[in-house]
Amino acid sequence: MTTVIMRTTARAIVPIVLVVAISLFVEGHNLPGGGFIGGVLTVTAFGIVYMAFGLDFLERGVLGREVDPGKGPSRDRVVLAYRRLFAYGFAIAVASGLAPLVFDRPFLTQTFVMLEGVPIYDHLEVASALAFDFGVYCVVVGGLLTILSVVGAE
Amino acid sequence: MSPDLAVVVAAVALPFVAAALTPLAFRVFGERTGFLGTAVALASFGLLATQYGTEGSVALEWIPSLNVALQFYVDGWALLFAMLATGIGALVFTYSPAYMHGQAGLPRYYAALLAFMGSIVGVALAADLIAVFLFWELTSLASFVLIGYYTADDSSQYAARMAMFITVGGGLFLLVGLLLLSIVAGDVLGPGAAFDLATMLENPDTMRNALRERGLFLPVLGLLAIGAGTKSAQVPVHFWLPNAMAAPTPVSAFLHSATMVKVGVYFIGRVRPMLVGEEWLFLFATLGLTTMTVCAIMAVAATDIKELLAYSTASHLGLMVAGFGFTSVYGAETGVFHLLNHALFKAALFLVAGIVAHEAGTREIEELGGLRHDLPVTAAITGVVALSMAGIPPFNGFYSKELLFEAAVEASHHHEIGVLGWLYPAVAVFGSIFTVLYSLRFLSLFVGERPDALGHVHRPPVSLLAPPAVLALLAAAVSVDPQRAVDLVVQSGLEATAVDPHAMHVGLPTSYSTPVGMSAVTIGAGVLAYPAYGRIHDGVRAGLKAVPPIRANWWYDRVVEGLSDEGRAFAEWVHNGHLRTYATWTLAATCALALAGFVAAGAIVPTTMGLEVTVPIALVLLVAVIGAVAVARADTHIAGILTLSILGFMIAIFYILASAPDLALTQLVVETLVLVIFLLVVEEIPERYEIEVGRVARDAALSVAVGATVFVTILVTTDARPDGPTEIARAYAEQAVPGGGGTNIVNVTLVDFRGFDTLGELAVIALASISILTLIVMRGRGDASSAGDDGSRADSSVGGPTVDDAADAGTDGGPSGGEDA
Repeated sequence: MTTVIMRTTARAIVPIVLVVAISLFVEGHNLPGGGFIGGVLTVTAFGIVYMAFGLDFLERGVLGREVDPGKGPSRDRVVLAYRRLFAYGFAIAVASGLAPLVFDRPFLTQTFVMLEGVPIYDHLEVASALAFDFGVYCVVVGGLLTILSVVGAE
Repeated sequence: MSPDLAVVVAAVALPFVAAALTPLAFRVFGERTGFLGTAVALASFGLLATQYGTEGSVALEWIPSLNVALQFYVDGWALLFAMLATGIGALVFTYSPAYMHGQAGLPRYYAALLAFMGSIVGVALAADLIAVFLFWELTSLASFVLIGYYTADDSSQYAARMAMFITVGGGLFLLVGLLLLSIVAGDVLGPGAAFDLATMLENPDTMRNALRERGLFLPVLGLLAIGAGTKSAQVPVHFWLPNAMAAPTPVSAFLHSATMVKVGVYFIGRVRPMLVGEEWLFLFATLGLTTMTVCAIMAVAATDIKELLAYSTASHLGLMVAGFGFTSVYGAETGVFHLLNHALFKAALFLVAGIVAHEAGTREIEELGGLRHDLPVTAAITGVVALSMAGIPPFNGFYSKELLFEAAVEASHHHEIGVLGWLYPAVAVFGSIFTVLYSLRFLSLFVGERPDALGHVHRPPVSLLAPPAVLALLAAAVSVDPQRAVDLVVQSGLEATAVDPHAMHVGLPTSYSTPVGMSAVTIGAGVLAYPAYGRIHDGVRAGLKAVPPIRANWWYDRVVEGLSDEGRAFAEWVHNGHLRTYATWTLAATCALALAGFVAAGAIVPTTMGLEVTVPIALVLLVAVIGAVAVARADTHIAGILTLSILGFMIAIFYILASAPDLALTQLVVETLVLVIFLLVVEEIPERYEIEVGRVARDAALSVAVGATVFVTILVTTDARPDGPTEIARAYAEQAVPGGGGTNIVNVTLVDFRGFDTLGELAVIALASISILTLIVMRGRGDASSAGDDGSRADSSVGGPTVDDAADAGTDGGPSGGEDA
C-alpha cells in the first residue's frame, strides 16, 4: 500500500480529515457530528497514515524517536499513549457525570450557559455536555487506535 | 417500650465498621487484634442489652421508591439470638489470639469474623425482607472466607466451596420465597408492607389466608424451608456442616454453635406464627427428626473429635427444627430453649476440642484418652457440657429435650396424623439414644486410660481456658436454676415464636409422665449400649463404606464432578478455538431466539407492505442490492472489500435521503474506517480456502437464516410504528434546545438525556480495547515469562489498571531488561 500515489494523497488528505474531525466534534451539539463521529474520523486519519507510511512512521518520522524495528506492539510508546488516552477519556466522562452530584443533582445532569458579546462569535454556548463528549471522543480515539495499532502490528 | 433506632443500628454496624478497620488495627496491635474484636463484640452485646425488654420496629430509609427500608425489629427472640451471637463472639475473639498464634493472614481472619458476627446480628434484627436476604447471604460469604481460611489446603477449599454452594444456593430459594411473600403482602396489607416482615407477623391470619387463596402457601413454605434447611444443614444437605470443620477451631465454635447454622432455625422460628399449620407440622417435624437421627448416627461413626461435634451440631439443629415443627406451644418452647442450651454447650465443646487438638497434637478419637490427668480444668468443663449435650438430668440439655418429647407426644392430640402420632416420639427417642452414646464417647476422652502413644500434653494458657469455662459456668447456671433462665430470656423468645404463648415452666420432673419415661428409656438404652460403642461405630462405618449412595456427600461429589466434566466437554465442543465455530453458534442462537420470540409473541402476521418509495431511494437501494450480489461474486479479497463498501455507502446515502444526517455521517465514517482496517489486514488473509461441501451448505443455511431474521425483525418493528412522532420523540424534540442547549436532537439525546447509555457504550469500547490488548499482548508475555524473563514475569502478574505502568517499565528496560523487575 505504500505507493507514491498513496503517500502523496495521504499528505493532502490527512490534515483535512483531522480538521473536519475536530469541527465535527466541536459543532456536534448543534449540527450533525459529536464525540463519536469526530473520534472515528480522527481514527480514520491515523489509519490512512498507517496504511501509507507504515506503523513506525508516527514514532520515527513525526515524533523523531528511535525505534527498534523488531519490537513488539505493546512496547510501542505511541500505543501506550493510546491506552492512556482511552483510560483518561473514560475518567473524564465519568468525572463529568459525577460533578453534578456536588451540586446535589442526579448523576450525569448536564447544563449550559450562553456567553454574550464574545469576540468573533458574538454569542457562544458553553454546554457541560462538551466535557462528557470530549470523554467520548478520547475513548473512541484511544480505544480504536489501540486496537488498530496492536492488531495492525501483528 | 419501643427500641432506640440509633442503638440498634450501632449494634449492627459496629462489627462491620470494625471489620473494615481491621487491617489498620492489625498493624498497630498485631496478634492482640483479637482482644479488640472482643471489645467490639462486647460493645455490640452491651448495646443490644440496653434494648432488653423493648419491642417494636425501627427503620432507616433505604430505597423509598420501592418501599424497601433498612428496618429492624426488636423483640425477645431477636435479642436472644443477636446477644448469643455477640456474646459467644466475644469469647471466640478472646480465644483466637492464643489459638491462631503465628498463623498467616490474621487480618483477613479477624475482618471476616467481625463481618460474620455483624451479618448474624443483622439477620436476627432485620425485619425487611430485602435486608433479611442481604444479611443472610453475607453470613454465607463471610463463612466462605472463614471455612476456606487455609487457602493452600485442598480440603479447606473443597469445604469452603461446598458450604458456599449449598448455603448460597439455598439462599436463592429463600429469595424466591421472600419475593412471593412480598407480592402477597403488598396485595393484602398495602404496598407499604410489601417487604415489611414485622407488619406481616402482626397480621398472621390475613397473610395465611391470602397465601392459601392464591395457592401460594405450599410454594412459600417449601421455598423458605429449603432456604432455612440448607443453612441449618438439614437432611439431605447436612453434609456441608461436617466438612466445614476444615475451618480453624474458633471459627467452628462460632459457626456450629451459636450462629450461622442456627440462622435457619432462627428464621423458622421467626415466621412460625405466620405459617404454622398441618403442612408445617409434616414438613418440619419430619425433616427435623430425620436430621436429628441420621446425624446422631453419623456422629457415632466419626473418628475425629471435630467431626463428631459437627455431626452432633447438625443433629441438634434437627432437634430444634423438629421442635419448631410441632405446632403446640411445647414445640416453640423446645426450639427457643434448645437454641440457648445448645449454643452454651456446643460452643464450649468446640473450644475444648480446640484445646485438645492444640495441646495434644491430634484430633483422632482413637488416639486420645485419660486427658483428665493433663487437663483437669478442661475435663471439668467437658463434664458439664458433654452431659448437657447428652440430655442427662439435671444438666440444661435435659430440659429442652424433655420438651421435645412432650411436643412429639402432644402432636397427635392437635392433629389427625395417624401412624405418625407414635412414630414421631419413637424416632425422637431412637435418635436421642445415639446422642447419649456420642456424648459419652466425647467425655471418655478425659476418663479411662491414657494411650501410651500420646506424648506430653501441655497445659493450655488462660486465654484458651477462660472462654469455655465461662460457657460451662453459664450452662451450669441454667442447669441449676432453669426457671430463672426461662424467665429472663426464653419466655420472651417464646412469645415471638408461639401462636398461643403462656407462661413457661421447667424443672426436674417430680412424677411420672410419658416424656419422663421416654427420657429414662433414652438414657438407659444409651448407657447400656455404650460398652458396645466400638461395634456400633464399626458397623455404621462398614455400612457407609459398603453402600456409598447412602452418603449425601457422595451425591454431592457425583453431581459436582459430573457437572464440571459435562461443562468441560461442552466447552470443548462449542469453544474449539475456531472463529468460524463461534460465529456459527452466536448467529444461530441469536436467530433462533429472536424468531422464537416473535413466534411466541405472535408478532409474525402477514402485513401489507406499503410501497411508498421515492425514485431516488429506489435507485440507491438498487445499487446497494447490486453491490451485495457483487460481494458474493467477488473473486479477490480486495474486490470483495471494495464492493462491500459500495453497499455501506449506499446505505449512508439512504440515510441522508431519509433525513437522518447524523446516522448517515456515522455510517460514512465507520464505513471508511472499516475499509481502511480491512485494507490494512487484507494481505494477511490467505487467498483461497479449501472448504468442504457440508460446511458450505451449513454456512449458506446460516446466512439465509440470519438474513431472514433481520428481514422479519425489520418488518415486525416498523409495522408497530404508530402514525406520526411518538410522545417520547416529541418530548425529545421539544426539550432539546431548552433542556440541553443544542439543536442537534440526536446528539443532545446522546449526551444530555441518555448520557448513561452513552457511558455504557464507552465502557464497551474501553473493554474491547483492553480485551484485545490482553489477548494479543499477554500472549507474547506468556512465552517470555516461560523463557525466564524477569521483567515480563513481573508484568504478567499485575492486573488491568496497572498494565500501563508495568509496560512503561518494560519499555525503559528493553525486552530482556531485568532492572525493571
